[in-house]
Amino acid sequence: MSEQWEPRIVAFFCTWCTYTAADLAGISRMTYAPNARIVRLMCSGRMDPQFVLKAFADGADGVLIGGCHPGDCHYQAGNYKALRRYTLLKRVLTEMGIEPERVRLEWISASEGDRVQKVMNEMVEQIRKLGPLHLEKAPRRTAAAQEREREAVGVSSQGGAR
Amino acid sequence: MPETNGAPKIGVYVCHCGVNIAAKVNIPEVVEFARTLPFVTVARDYKFMCSDPGQELIQQDLREGRVNRVVVASCSPLMHEATFRRATAEGGQNPFFFHMANIREHVSWVTADEHKATEKAKALIAAAVRRVAFHEPLEKKRVPVHPHVLIVGGGIAGIEAALKIAEAGKKVYLVEREPTIGGHMAQFDKCFPTLDCAACILTPKMTQVRAHPNIKLLTYSEVESVEPYDLRNFKVTIRRKARYVNEDVCTGCGLCADVCPVTVPSEFDEGLGTRKAIYRPFPQAVPNVFTISRRGTPPCQAACSIHQNAQGYITLIAHGKFKEALDVILRDNPLPSICGRICTHPCTVNCTRGTVDEPLNIPGLKRFITDLFPDYKLPTPTKERPEKIAIVGSGPAGLMCAYELRQRGYKPVIFEAQPVAGGMLSVGIPSFRLPRDVITKEINRLKEIGIEIKTNTPVGKAITLEQLRQQYAAVFIAIGAHVERKLKVPGEDLPGVFGGIEFLRRVNLEGPFNLGERVLVIGGGNSAVDAARTALRCGAKEVTMVYRRTRAEMPADPKEIEAAEEEGVKMLFLAAPKTILGNKETGVTALECLKMKLGAPDASGRPAPEPIPGSEFVLSCDAIIVTIGQVPDIASLGERLGLETTTWGTFKVDDVTLETNVPGVFAGGDCVTGPDVVVNAMYAGKKAAISIDRYLNKLDMRAGREREGPYRTEYTIDTSGTPLQKQIPMPAIELARRRTFEEVHTGYTKELAIAEAKRCLDCGICCDCRLCATVCEAKAINYEMKDEIQEIVVGSIILATGFKLFDARRIPRYGYGKYPNVYTALEVERMTNSAGPTGGEIRLRDGRKPKAVGIIHCVGSRDRNYNSYCSRVCCLYSLKLAHLIKERTGAEVYNFYIDMRVPGKAYEEFYDRMLEEGIHFIRGRVAEVTDHAMTPDEEGKLVIRAEDTLIGVIRRIPVDMVVLAVGLEPQADADEVRRKFYISCGSGGFFLERHPKLAPVQTFADGIFIAGACQGPKDIQDTVAQAGAAAAEVLSLIDRGFVELEPNTAFIQEELCSGCKTCIPLCPFSAISFNSDKGVAAINEALCKGCGTCVAACPSGAAQQHLFTDEQIYQEIEGVLSYV
Repeated sequence: MSEQWEPRIVAFFCTWCTYTAADLAGISRMTYAPNARIVRLMCSGRMDPQFVLKAFADGADGVLIGGCHPGDCHYQAGNYKALRRYTLLKRVLTEMGIEPERVRLEWISASEGDRVQKVMNEMVEQIRKLGPLHLEKAPRRTAAAQEREREAVGVSSQGGAR
Repeated sequence: MPETNGAPKIGVYVCHCGVNIAAKVNIPEVVEFARTLPFVTVARDYKFMCSDPGQELIQQDLREGRVNRVVVASCSPLMHEATFRRATAEGGQNPFFFHMANIREHVSWVTADEHKATEKAKALIAAAVRRVAFHEPLEKKRVPVHPHVLIVGGGIAGIEAALKIAEAGKKVYLVEREPTIGGHMAQFDKCFPTLDCAACILTPKMTQVRAHPNIKLLTYSEVESVEPYDLRNFKVTIRRKARYVNEDVCTGCGLCADVCPVTVPSEFDEGLGTRKAIYRPFPQAVPNVFTISRRGTPPCQAACSIHQNAQGYITLIAHGKFKEALDVILRDNPLPSICGRICTHPCTVNCTRGTVDEPLNIPGLKRFITDLFPDYKLPTPTKERPEKIAIVGSGPAGLMCAYELRQRGYKPVIFEAQPVAGGMLSVGIPSFRLPRDVITKEINRLKEIGIEIKTNTPVGKAITLEQLRQQYAAVFIAIGAHVERKLKVPGEDLPGVFGGIEFLRRVNLEGPFNLGERVLVIGGGNSAVDAARTALRCGAKEVTMVYRRTRAEMPADPKEIEAAEEEGVKMLFLAAPKTILGNKETGVTALECLKMKLGAPDASGRPAPEPIPGSEFVLSCDAIIVTIGQVPDIASLGERLGLETTTWGTFKVDDVTLETNVPGVFAGGDCVTGPDVVVNAMYAGKKAAISIDRYLNKLDMRAGREREGPYRTEYTIDTSGTPLQKQIPMPAIELARRRTFEEVHTGYTKELAIAEAKRCLDCGICCDCRLCATVCEAKAINYEMKDEIQEIVVGSIILATGFKLFDARRIPRYGYGKYPNVYTALEVERMTNSAGPTGGEIRLRDGRKPKAVGIIHCVGSRDRNYNSYCSRVCCLYSLKLAHLIKERTGAEVYNFYIDMRVPGKAYEEFYDRMLEEGIHFIRGRVAEVTDHAMTPDEEGKLVIRAEDTLIGVIRRIPVDMVVLAVGLEPQADADEVRRKFYISCGSGGFFLERHPKLAPVQTFADGIFIAGACQGPKDIQDTVAQAGAAAAEVLSLIDRGFVELEPNTAFIQEELCSGCKTCIPLCPFSAISFNSDKGVAAINEALCKGCGTCVAACPSGAAQQHLFTDEQIYQEIEGVLSYV
């Protein structure tokens, strides 16, 4: 990466709290670093650790996960499940030689637009400090490759093998 | 890639949103980029995609076959997803062949750099295009909306919404946690700007609520939990708190409050007035019924083994109601004149007052009542039963058991080996502490109600236990512990060595005898102290207690130790007897002791004494009294019926029932526990009586007995501000007279007893004296009432839980709580009310009318240290109070304001009127309120120091009264409540609305609405308007009858499922079960709410979520990372 390198961050936000907070940050015109791209999930409980690995494999330098504060989950306890997986994932990442600081889990409620701004900026700074993530260039999953995988397990519906 | 509608032909539509997006994102560049993306057949931009022509663009492309999947890049999906799904559907495609890229809230509005914003927009569009190619057609599910409505909070918002909905013919549950509805508005006197009377416009509405057939009013109730009933409706659990008054029967006559002896500050009058423990907050309360404030059993009563209601009789004594106090005492205790003298009073030990200064002398007060009515009678049994019960031993355990059985109609017969009844009370406790005639009278009272006592009848000799068992329906053994433990040192059998109990028994039965001049008492318990004091009264010149530990470890009552020392008893600590010296002829002459030191704690938790080798020393003496404990004389019973015993030589009984291993034979008191105090023996007697009653009625002997015996209360009492006043000492005879067996303490006089009783802090609030029940003609009072749990199902909920006032104590420089004449606005409001604590007079604490009054605006509002928001109502209510104060008192009124904020219909005009009335306005935040006078004018005044920013000087305004215009805050439990209802709190802690402008009463939780000050500070006008809006939302839902749900449920691909069951416990809605035939998980779509937690956990990828499949999310990840 040259001096133009900019951190690439994928943010997975639950729709009820953190995604709404990100909308609020927008409505309130709170400017923050543009590096993170937000993927909306219904709940941080939907957060599959493989999404993080996939993001790293596809070129992300950092992953941010946002959910409701403990006790606030729209689905009662999805955020606790996310926390469990996050804790485990960080250990796995360490084993893989990826700095666990590249992943961050934050509880941001729907009214905390200012917190989205703060966390987004902090995250970019954090990843900037860590520098680009150098993984052995893994072959990108092409549509054709995915189709082959699906055939291999004998499924033709959507979703499927990972 | 699924091709359910043919090969993907994706249309990308980029919205300018006026300049909202276009000013930051290079739209032509983005459109050009979109055209390069796979499967994109059309890419267009338009000024407002959400407008009709914008949507028409999409529909036309769909209709004309140019596209079959749609991506709109515009605002947040939370804003317009529904709009564009509809457009997709109207274009002839399934609405879910659509995805939205949020390039406004997440891009143009938050990104400074135009180039970067454009790049980010491209990435999000790329992600949406990749994702939509994997979308599948889905159907929305319709779920019926239950027509019943829950409204939480009975203030003006809740009242208004309830009436609106009920008028439309729908069923409403209105839940209010206070005993009445009305909320804060009921506390107001006048309303701004019209100055109309708040009660006049509110109370008719309150009455309507009560009378409306469609409203179920649940006051003094709280919502415990809200759970999903189905995919859309709610199962609500409501706790109906026990008001101890039957709401349907109470007529609201108020006789109960007249007799209630407990007075507490009135919450409704903001603590300026008082109310009784049984109360109605204000005369027009709805429902117009009374409620008893009961915090629970007070600590004194809970700590007492027999749960004597101490707070009850103490409160009655404080009010001079002595006869009633006696009735309360006799409710639980048949031996009060004994307990009043010698009980070890766990009540006093646990008295809350002890944490302030000194606990109350609770037994002393009980004794006062029994002394006052020396001829009181015990209640006579109301029924008779034929069964006779044998009780062995007439100590406190036997007597209590007999009494309790007699009250249940049985015929108890007590067998006593000694010539006198009373057990250890008569033979072990000296008469200067417990006069014999007190015991005799107490026992005679028991005899009068039909209890037979056979003295000189030792069981085991005069009659056998086996005979008792055959002749009586049940047997209770309470023979106490009368066999002395021995020191086991040489010389113990020399003449002049006595056992403590042996000594006391001899003095009690035969009178005092000469012991010699120097007496040593070995031991540190109550009996040892009794023996020492008795020895003095037998003529000993020098009595020394020898104890092997220190004063701190002495088990005796500290007050008794003190009394013994006062009388001249000497204490020798850390000394243990080694050998008793003397011979048969001279008797005992001396005691050789060893010095001890304290070591590590032993089993009792006290430091174990350890001998110091070679430290022997000798004390010469004429007599030694060894009082180191007793054990039961089990052998005296002769054959024991095979009763099991412990290694301690006590009977082995069931802890809960006190039954021995022989059915129908029970045992309790010291013969089970070893030597213990009177009240615990009484407890055993009571427990045994309950067991025997159940045994004879063939009932479960164990059920529901958890709360027998002492326990600790769980609540805490706020004792702040209690004026210090120590325990009033009980009068006693002078020291010189304490060489005879005359009773030492003479008891409280009426005046002293009342003064001591008034120190009670009313821990339980209601003192359970039950006077109210005696005057209630409607028989509405029910002390046994319990909280009830009610479950309802509703389809919509309106939260109207209101606000709380800012606590002015948080700003100490304004002097609230320090200077008596600094008031909050609501306190003054109560004063202006003719039904308030002052009858409508505005006056200072000393009763004077104020001549000058300062009103300080923005207390706790518009202040970064407290709340940064404006509380909106304070300027107006300050004007109103200024007007009322001037009108009622003629005082000069000064308003200290930052800005006058009076927007609203007729508000500015009201302000103008106040200016004309001559109210003073000073612009500037007040620095402080002080009583520090700098000029003679300021003497005795409160001085308000503030900068007058209009003339640029610091001013000091002396006033008599300061009114703090405190702001509005969320309820203290707002956070807890909003969690219960699955909603959020916004800045400042008020409930968060779905959209500040377009959805002010909706929340992010479907079917849950908010109205009034729980959403943010607002006046009555706006609150009523919001209540109407919330009612309209609810009615529109009910009338439509159903809602459509997002089809984002999870599903299992059975051919991939390995049956590992990982997903099953993760589902918070129990929607997943295991199909054991197929060996796979199965998701019940009717229960799934679509969180996707199971999907994320599925190790084989068999679980998937509609709209959020793994593949769709992978595509999105790849898309956002395809930096261009």
